[in-house]
Amino acid sequence: MGAEVITVSTDTQFVHLAWQRHEKELADVKYPMGSDPTGNLSRMFGVYDDTSGLALRGTFIINPEGILMNSEVNFYNMGRNIDELMRKYKANLYLAKKTDEGCPSKWQDEGDKTLKPSPDMVGRVHEALNE
Amino acid sequence: MSDCQETCLKLGHPVPDFEIDTYDPVVKNFGKISLEGQKSAGKWTILFFYPADFTFV
Repeated sequence: MGAEVITVSTDTQFVHLAWQRHEKELADVKYPMGSDPTGNLSRMFGVYDDTSGLALRGTFIINPEGILMNSEVNFYNMGRNIDELMRKYKANLYLAKKTDEGCPSKWQDEGDKTLKPSPDMVGRVHEALNE
Repeated sequence: MSDCQETCLKLGHPVPDFEIDTYDPVVKNFGKISLEGQKSAGKWTILFFYPADFTFV
């Protein structure tokens, strides 16, 4: 996909190694596993929980210029939808090229319907989506 | 929860540079990744935080 995915927890890189070596579900993991034992990176992204010393399930998309383009944070007990993450990443790639367009909620991939905000569309989003 | 009224990042704004230690399962070795390095390489970055190793992600 061209993006570098980095998983991050407050565990050290040594614990990451032990976990990846031990857990069969992780046998095919291709992502670098980042460690944030100080919690500094988690704090910077607002996902650090002081009471537990752990990071919440935060997902952040940063563009090649270092600009934060997307964020999502789930509490401990809520898993993330990877299809939705990929949809948002693809939409960001697309919108970086087509800066005058917008990707509506049902946009899945290049070629799907986009919107071009304009005075004509005000009050006519339904028509624009269905034309 | 950390108080981020003044420190929290905002969409559309630059992320301050950071560097973290990593374990890379592909090369089976430790390393470092920095946002500066990502920018130099012209790469998008997806940070995927989770609470703890040895639990579900």
